[in-house]
Amino acid sequence: MRTLLPLAIAFISGLIMVIAFFINPEQKTVGTISQDLLIWSSIIGGFTFLLGAISITRVNWKQVSMRKPGWGYNLLTVLAVFVMAVPALWPAAWLPSGWERLAGRNAGSIYDWLFLYTATPMSQTMFAILAFYIASAAYRAFRARSTEATLLLLTASMVMLWRVPMGEAFLLFISPDLPGVINTYIMGGISLSVQRGIIIGAALGAATMSLRILLGIERTYMGRS
Amino acid sequence: MPHIKRISQSVFFVLTFAFILFSACPTGAQEETPAVAEVSQKLFRADRTNVLIFSLIFAGVILTYTKLAKKGKPLFIRKIAGLDALEEAVGRATEMGKPVLFIPGLQELDEMETIAGISILGRVAKITAQYDTPLMVPVRYPLVLAAGQEAVEQAYIQAGKRDSYNKDCVRYVAGEQMAFAASVNGLMMRERPAANIFMGAFFAESLLLAETGNAAGSIQIAGTARPEQIPFFIAACDYTLMGEELYAASAYLSHEPLLLGGLKGQDLIKVIIIVALVVGMVLILTGNGTRYVELFIPK
Amino acid sequence: MNIWQRLAGLHRQWIFILVWIAVIFPLIVPATFEISTTPEVKALYDAVEALPDSSVVMLTFDLYPNALAETEPMTRAALHHLFRNNHKVVTVTTIPLGGPSVAERVTRELAAEYGKVYGTDFVNLGYKPNYVSVLKGMGSSIESIYPADNSGTPLGRLPLMTTVKNYADIAFIFVVTDNGIIDFWISIVNAQFGKPVGAGVTSVMAPKQYAYIGSGQLTGMLGGMKGAAEYEQLVGKPALAVTGMGIQSLVHFLLIGLIVVGNLGFFMNRRSQAKKGGGA
Repeated sequence: MRTLLPLAIAFISGLIMVIAFFINPEQKTVGTISQDLLIWSSIIGGFTFLLGAISITRVNWKQVSMRKPGWGYNLLTVLAVFVMAVPALWPAAWLPSGWERLAGRNAGSIYDWLFLYTATPMSQTMFAILAFYIASAAYRAFRARSTEATLLLLTASMVMLWRVPMGEAFLLFISPDLPGVINTYIMGGISLSVQRGIIIGAALGAATMSLRILLGIERTYMGRS
Repeated sequence: MPHIKRISQSVFFVLTFAFILFSACPTGAQEETPAVAEVSQKLFRADRTNVLIFSLIFAGVILTYTKLAKKGKPLFIRKIAGLDALEEAVGRATEMGKPVLFIPGLQELDEMETIAGISILGRVAKITAQYDTPLMVPVRYPLVLAAGQEAVEQAYIQAGKRDSYNKDCVRYVAGEQMAFAASVNGLMMRERPAANIFMGAFFAESLLLAETGNAAGSIQIAGTARPEQIPFFIAACDYTLMGEELYAASAYLSHEPLLLGGLKGQDLIKVIIIVALVVGMVLILTGNGTRYVELFIPK
Repeated sequence: MNIWQRLAGLHRQWIFILVWIAVIFPLIVPATFEISTTPEVKALYDAVEALPDSSVVMLTFDLYPNALAETEPMTRAALHHLFRNNHKVVTVTTIPLGGPSVAERVTRELAAEYGKVYGTDFVNLGYKPNYVSVLKGMGSSIESIYPADNSGTPLGRLPLMTTVKNYADIAFIFVVTDNGIIDFWISIVNAQFGKPVGAGVTSVMAPKQYAYIGSGQLTGMLGGMKGAAEYEQLVGKPALAVTGMGIQSLVHFLLIGLIVVGNLGFFMNRRSQAKKGGGA
């Protein structure tokens, strides 16, 4: 039953969505069922956030209670979860008059302030580190060890120049047509065809995997081989 | 279970055959029962006939090859270096007494890449169970946490090492992309895993994770179907699986006939697509391609 | 260790310092450059220009806070363009952290500049989980997926949403994103519902979108900060993206310089090792 029920649910709901794809949307029964399934799926997705909150609290609190090394950071994690979530969910009507703006997720609320002045700068800092990492990765990886590697680094250099105004000015100095050639033949030609090949291959792989899941052949997502 | 699979396959084909019959009724049927024909025309989306035909061909080919594989027909798969290196990577970690870090991507469980990642996690967990190597699996979503824990537990049970299984080896780290990357980077620099395995959907944090792993001295194997992240993994990792190689991993590692059959079927579909592309190219170059192209464009 | 070995094996700390200098210098000594317009950006601009007056455009804020430097200029330029042309804007997001807050902040700020009224000229629907369900569901009924807007106001009480029931009532979808959701907007909304889609994406994602532009599934594209700068220029509101071009130019030149230096060290090292080996 533990294996059969999830497989049956996966098969039936997948089949309904496949059939609904080919049915006229005006057709009531299948159209309604498929729309309901989509809404249910959205609701279930919301519940998974609760599961995540419980999991992160449980794992980190265990570290705190056992005073594992670095438990202070685990305590900070748990506090951050509640400091952000509680004001966002707190009903504004329960707050004294004049303080209602602090609750909820609108502009001026605690949640919005924490998002703007803590979460956003920290995320952007992490993203900014990429600029440094790309430089060190490019320096290390772009070596003309072979013909293919040489071709790679020449193409990459030309595209890097093309993507910035100063570089484009340099390319125009070499030839007025060069930026257009890069856009048309490298980005819109070679790169486009390679990207298409990977997209088609990956899409076929995903479609095969979907078919296997639908028919119950692939069950590793349930922890069964 | 095999009976349910056969029944479900039969029901699927009967229903799709019924659609074709219903929607592609010859004019004779329309003359005899105009009400039925009218209903069938309203029921079925004729503008999606080309998608239906391709879907039937696709499903038919995959299932045919799966049947052939079940009958014992030998099916060849080329070597995928990244997947061959998985056991070597875990062995390296065992020798060094360091853990293995596995990340099944940063997407939800409904993404195919994540399911492929969880599938590979099960195989890797079996190897780490056999070698008694610590395994760390940070995840970004709660459903992936549940699926990951289930996959690792089953792997340890299959390896006969139920007592060695630690539920907290799969842990929910953070729901936000950069918070996840920061947390995992910290984990890498503290624990210094000997092997990092990135299998699934990755975004901007791919280079952050791979470069930090490189700085920590880990051997790194990555696989993603996101074309925009593949260059970063190639630059920073020792082995990279590109695109559908990630989806092929499950079949490649298990050598299960059912999965191998699907892989071979996929290859035949690709051949069909290539033939269609070449035919289209020739027709367009000779100025006769308009009607051919219209077959593929949604109306 | 000779000079060539040092050049070939430069420690990453030195590279990081050089990048830091390349980023700081243009902020101290700003420079402006002429920014040419690529065909993809022009196509997106023209598509919005061609929309009939008072068309409803869905502008998506499918972005995380980390890439705001690239994506926020796109959303601002898009809103300038849409509000200036008197279009109605419905904003949605599939990203829980970042999307709704940024959408709220940016749209209200720019709406005030153009005197637009919430509920009549623009609506922020906010976030709902499971993006595949959301994108497919809006094709039948937006209200079934979003019974209320981001602030909790039922859609029936918003004048704009009484006329916008599903994708059929939306003229154009302008997706601004820094993640793979663009693939779903194309494969679900464009392919299945036939709605024209234009995209603003980060520069890392831009090469992949050329495949969709080539097949006509994407009307146009803003690729990274350069794309945003081009669009800002076309709309006539140069801002952060145009300013950022100086920094990006210098960093790109630095990267190319590092690649050249690294290869020089690599080749000279290899030659001297070959000579030593030949001598022995």
